[in-house]
Amino acid sequence: MPLSSKSHPISTSTSDASSATSKKNHRVAAAAESYTSDNGGGSTASSISFLTPCQVFPLVRMQGSSLKRKRPDNVPSSVSLTDAERVLYNVIQGKRDLGIWSKEMKEETNLPDNVVRKALASLQVKKLIKEVVNCQNKAKKHYIASEFKPSKEITGGDWYSEGNLDKDFIEIVKDVFLKIIFIQKVATVDGILEWVKKNHAFHVELTSHQIEEILQALVLDDQIIEMESTGFGEFASVPAGRVCYRCKNKRGPKGEPKIGAMASIPCGVCPRISSCTPDGIISPRTCVYYQKWLDF
Amino acid sequence: MVTQYGIKFAVHIITNHFGNLVAKVCECLLRRGPLTFEQLVRFTELTKEQVKNSLLVLIQHNCVQAFILEQEGREGLKVNTQYLVLFDNILHRLRFPKFLEIVSQDLDEECVELLEGLLRDGRLTLKQMVDRASQRRENAVALDVVQGSLRKLLMIQYVERCPAPEPVLSPPVEQDTKKRGAKSKRAEKPETIEHRIFEAAVPAEGIRFSLTANSELINNSDISPMRVGENVAKEDSTPFRANFEEFIRRLRHKVLIEKVRTTHDDDAAAVLRAILDGTRNAEKKVKMEKSVPLTLDAIFTELQKTENGRAMTMERVRSSLVLLGCDLGKYNDSYTIELKKIIDSARDEEVESIVLKRYGRDAYRMFRLLSRTDGFLETDKIAESTFVEKRDTPKILYKLWKDDYLHMEKLVLNGARQSKFLLWKVNKPILLEHVLDEMHHAALNLSLRLAYEQEKDGELLTVPKDKIVGQLQQRYKRLRNAWLLLESSLMKLDDALMLFHDF
Repeated sequence: MPLSSKSHPISTSTSDASSATSKKNHRVAAAAESYTSDNGGGSTASSISFLTPCQVFPLVRMQGSSLKRKRPDNVPSSVSLTDAERVLYNVIQGKRDLGIWSKEMKEETNLPDNVVRKALASLQVKKLIKEVVNCQNKAKKHYIASEFKPSKEITGGDWYSEGNLDKDFIEIVKDVFLKIIFIQKVATVDGILEWVKKNHAFHVELTSHQIEEILQALVLDDQIIEMESTGFGEFASVPAGRVCYRCKNKRGPKGEPKIGAMASIPCGVCPRISSCTPDGIISPRTCVYYQKWLDF
Repeated sequence: MVTQYGIKFAVHIITNHFGNLVAKVCECLLRRGPLTFEQLVRFTELTKEQVKNSLLVLIQHNCVQAFILEQEGREGLKVNTQYLVLFDNILHRLRFPKFLEIVSQDLDEECVELLEGLLRDGRLTLKQMVDRASQRRENAVALDVVQGSLRKLLMIQYVERCPAPEPVLSPPVEQDTKKRGAKSKRAEKPETIEHRIFEAAVPAEGIRFSLTANSELINNSDISPMRVGENVAKEDSTPFRANFEEFIRRLRHKVLIEKVRTTHDDDAAAVLRAILDGTRNAEKKVKMEKSVPLTLDAIFTELQKTENGRAMTMERVRSSLVLLGCDLGKYNDSYTIELKKIIDSARDEEVESIVLKRYGRDAYRMFRLLSRTDGFLETDKIAESTFVEKRDTPKILYKLWKDDYLHMEKLVLNGARQSKFLLWKVNKPILLEHVLDEMHHAALNLSLRLAYEQEKDGELLTVPKDKIVGQLQQRYKRLRNAWLLLESSLMKLDDALMLFHDF
């Protein structure tokens, strides 16, 4: 189960993790900016080692997937259970790593509310089941047998922590990758993975799959371009045909997507365009968005 | 592809330029397709004279093309004249300043003036051109001066001879459809009536851009002096008009080159320019999906014609060709560039920018993911790939679907427990039509607002400049800024209209 910086036992950060995160974020950006201005955006990977000390990225995030589960000491048969507990346990255990919502449990077992409540509490005390946070709906009480690790459908996956998407961490990883790509000009997944490992950039180990996920998100943000190396010019360091990434903006790591002709006028962003007619109640003559736009 | 708001916008342009009566005839043709004179009179409920004059105006300005349709009826071959409205040519009226700008970059002032006259009057004979040029000056302009300018414009194909006034369309020959397989059916696109008329009306390439089409006959001594006289008289009455197709081609090339410059670099843009310049006369239509093949040597020769191109080495040219998606083969291989891909990418950028502004960053990422994926994606998969909270994802997708930016399908699986999945995709052809309609709507709105601003503060323009002080000055400044913003936005939006409709 992934744990966020807020709950990690070895975290050096303060109790207010989010504010610490944003401070760190600034420190990353400031460090990278000072580097690019001092060095004119040089391209060697070694020269970006200034970015690496752990104190620059003390954001800690535990990689849940690599943790070893403690298996329950008792197998269910050796534990004395009431009938209700046994029925409920079987239902929960039968759902394996997907677990089950308490309401569904009641429907399946036809047990009265109070019996279910009591049995669940007892099963938890006996460490046969555990409550997990469902990323789709945190209010739902979701249970899973202790021997299973909750599936991606329940936790949300590697980038989720306690049912929430760890957006702060994702943003920091994105920022760091963007700066690496900008400095290296042309980067590959392997290159970034090597850089991350060598410099211990994060307190968690990122897999190449996770790096790829972040790079794909950066492509979708239109911050970087995925392309095949030509083997010529600035692609010379990457064998021809290999997938590599380049910053979209040539002047800095971050860039804003181009605003098109339609998006720069009120009609392009108007939520009421389908109700707008030349002589209707909503019309270009009476439009409040136009009024605001042409108010010089 | 003429959308509902496309028709409204075209009618608005015609109303502005030629008044309500002409616009009524035009709207009738736009909504109902080609019609005969009698049908037009019946549908518009105007007098015969009014319809006739409106048609003459529209034909003069190249917005309507007459044609004779031969139809086989019970009593044999039936012939009637029909009128087809040319939607594209109506919208091109917005682009006249852009066309003149192109000519002013490529040719001299006389040519610009000549084209200006053709755009203003729709079509002119050589004699009318000479008269028009002379009116502007104290002394009459010599025929050969005007001929010289016209020849330059014809050479570069910015001007053409007007098409035949009434080409004859024979009934289409029915082919044996039984033998055709599914494959051939898919490959063949149905030929539009507009295309058939264009084929029948436009003179052959050699004559279309020639000043004296019958010059060979004139020079031929075997022909009697009487025939020569007839030919000269015929030449004098030949009307010429601006060749919109060539201007649109030039504007398309410009967009292609600039798009490559922003995506790749100046080198790649220079190479693409060289290829397009080198194959310009070989392009058979505007919407070329691929550039005409050109050898590396020919590309290099073309590059050397420009200052920036001369600085490029063969290595840089080859590198740019790879960036443009070419496989480097043998030295003397020919290269073609997938132009449609570049246009598609520019269109995607425009649509994505609307999504970003209207629905926010998360929606933008989701839309880009779906736009780049063939087929459907499930809600959770979209959330994972775009790093959006799983519980927020369906809400954002729903908004996009409600506004027709996404296509959605429900999938119900009946297993141990019934589970429902929502699958999403971007249906490009439908989406592009929807966005184009919204763009036509927006262009109409800009134009209507401009008219409203002019109407609201129009009296300010009649006040002498020295009396515009204080509050009046503020109002005047506001009006001027509003006009500038509205007009420049309309011109920019028109670039996007061309990208979606003409390129």
